[in-house]
Amino acid sequence: MKLPGLPPFPPLTAGPREDRWGYDPDFASSVEPWLEFMYDRWWRVVTTGVERLPADGPVLIVANHAGVVPWDASMMATGIRREEGDRYRHPRFLVLDWAFSLPWASVGIRRFGGVPASPHNARALLEEGHRVMVFPEGAKGVGKPYKNRYRLERFGRGGFVELAIRAQAPIVPCAIVGSEEIYPKIGELGLVARLTGAPYFPITPTFPLLGPFGAIPLPSRWRIEFDEPIDVSGLPPGAADDRARVFELAEHVRERIQAKVFSNLVEREGAFL
Amino acid sequence: MARVLVTGAASRLGTVLAAELLADPQTERVVAIDTRDVDLPADDRLVHIAADLRSPDLSALLAPHRIDAIVHNDVLQFPEPGRSVRLLHDTNVVGTLQLLAAAEHLPELRTVVLRSSATIYGSEPNAPRFFTEAMADRFPLRTRWQRDVAEVERLIAAFARRRPDVTASILRFQPILGRTLDTPIMRLVASPVIPTWMGFDPMVQVIHGDDVVEALMATLRNPLRGPVNVAAEDTVSLSRVLRRLGKRAIPLLPGAYEVVLGAAARLGLPRMDEDTMRFLRYGRGVDTTRMRTELGFEPTLSSIGAIELVAMAFEEAAA
Repeated sequence: MKLPGLPPFPPLTAGPREDRWGYDPDFASSVEPWLEFMYDRWWRVVTTGVERLPADGPVLIVANHAGVVPWDASMMATGIRREEGDRYRHPRFLVLDWAFSLPWASVGIRRFGGVPASPHNARALLEEGHRVMVFPEGAKGVGKPYKNRYRLERFGRGGFVELAIRAQAPIVPCAIVGSEEIYPKIGELGLVARLTGAPYFPITPTFPLLGPFGAIPLPSRWRIEFDEPIDVSGLPPGAADDRARVFELAEHVRERIQAKVFSNLVEREGAFL
Repeated sequence: MARVLVTGAASRLGTVLAAELLADPQTERVVAIDTRDVDLPADDRLVHIAADLRSPDLSALLAPHRIDAIVHNDVLQFPEPGRSVRLLHDTNVVGTLQLLAAAEHLPELRTVVLRSSATIYGSEPNAPRFFTEAMADRFPLRTRWQRDVAEVERLIAAFARRRPDVTASILRFQPILGRTLDTPIMRLVASPVIPTWMGFDPMVQVIHGDDVVEALMATLRNPLRGPVNVAAEDTVSLSRVLRRLGKRAIPLLPGAYEVVLGAAARLGLPRMDEDTMRFLRYGRGVDTTRMRTELGFEPTLSSIGAIELVAMAFEEAAA
């Protein structure tokens, strides 16, 4: 597999620098040219607000999730790297558990910094001082039908707020616009999803109609914006167990992301051109 | 601990543990129980009881030795020709039951250490990367060995409740590597080719046999109630392990994996146990905080170090 101007896709075997989570910095940098191609040419991503990310210590980046196949984490990482340059710290991200039962994909995701979506993983990563990206909408967000685009789903059970309080990590809301259009889901085959154990089996204008070509994402225009960090260090330690407070903060984060999604939609103008 | 009972003493780990105990001048007596001969130099502090744990007179055999600590090492992992699954379950569960029944009549007993296995957590795609001790019931027990381990642990926990004067430690070891050991993972890495799951490259965390013995010794010195994960700190991708060992991987399609291995077993090749198959697909990591902080034990070898050592032993054997 070779595109003009791109190096061959790196092999999936682990290098000597992988860490205990299976993240391999050499793999991550060897897929960079591919991600840059998607970032610059395909989706023409504009990323703003990267300077708001704390340079050191743990950070919990909370973003909206859409687009059937979640490319968002890789584009966020690419955006941060492009804007930060030398002071870039590679973010880790939580991935829907189901992805880890897939051959190849599971290995690639892990080498790029993905871990199964478990609060234990997120907690341990934050305690090690990493930046962690979470998508509280989860499968509901990625698999939402095209007609519901730009509308954020419920934010799970607010577990990410609990995590942030316990790990004393600031929450950085992040809005992504454009991922909604990459695979417009107009229907779904429930039976196939059940048979394969997948969370959903999408029908898009090109999939499954065009077979493997349906896997090529549409070249929508993306915008990614990181919002002001929310400091949780002022909260008392018991706050993580205060459900009302956790829900309230989770809803506040959701509203901020929703507002940023709308403002970026306006700024983006055309979805494809 | 002064008078220690070691079960499964003829196994390599049991023998090394007994030798280590005898090397300690504070040890008054080592009672080694195994139906097989125990390969140790004669020592007047060493008593070998050639009996099965399931023998009815176990209680009478143990009574005269005033045992104050038991290391229950006789928990077997995999069936093989001449050792059916039925016999395995018998040895593991009924053997433990009988051992604990006899232990009820040991008034001086203060410590029980079980050599358990981290296999109790299973190997799952959606597992936390590092299981803590509290997560043993996270996933269903899928294999016979997992169910055996869980039952043996339950028996030990129930015994600890009946005898509050006894501290029962359960050490959950990750797969044990060591040149002279006969463990599922050693059988696997000793074979010339290794069947892997196409498209999967699990994270593997192991512990070296020498560190296993040291962990058991550390627990005898500083017994801790309940389960403790024992493993090296790092986890390593299987592909790196195989590269270091110089082994050829034969990737099999996930749908065909069990079928191909089943056919190979029928042709006389060694049969791979279910747990190892799952481990090769999804791997497993455990959290070792309790081991390091409460038990105060630190393995000398990392996972990659243990693999390195085994690789060197293989190279030596080949030269």
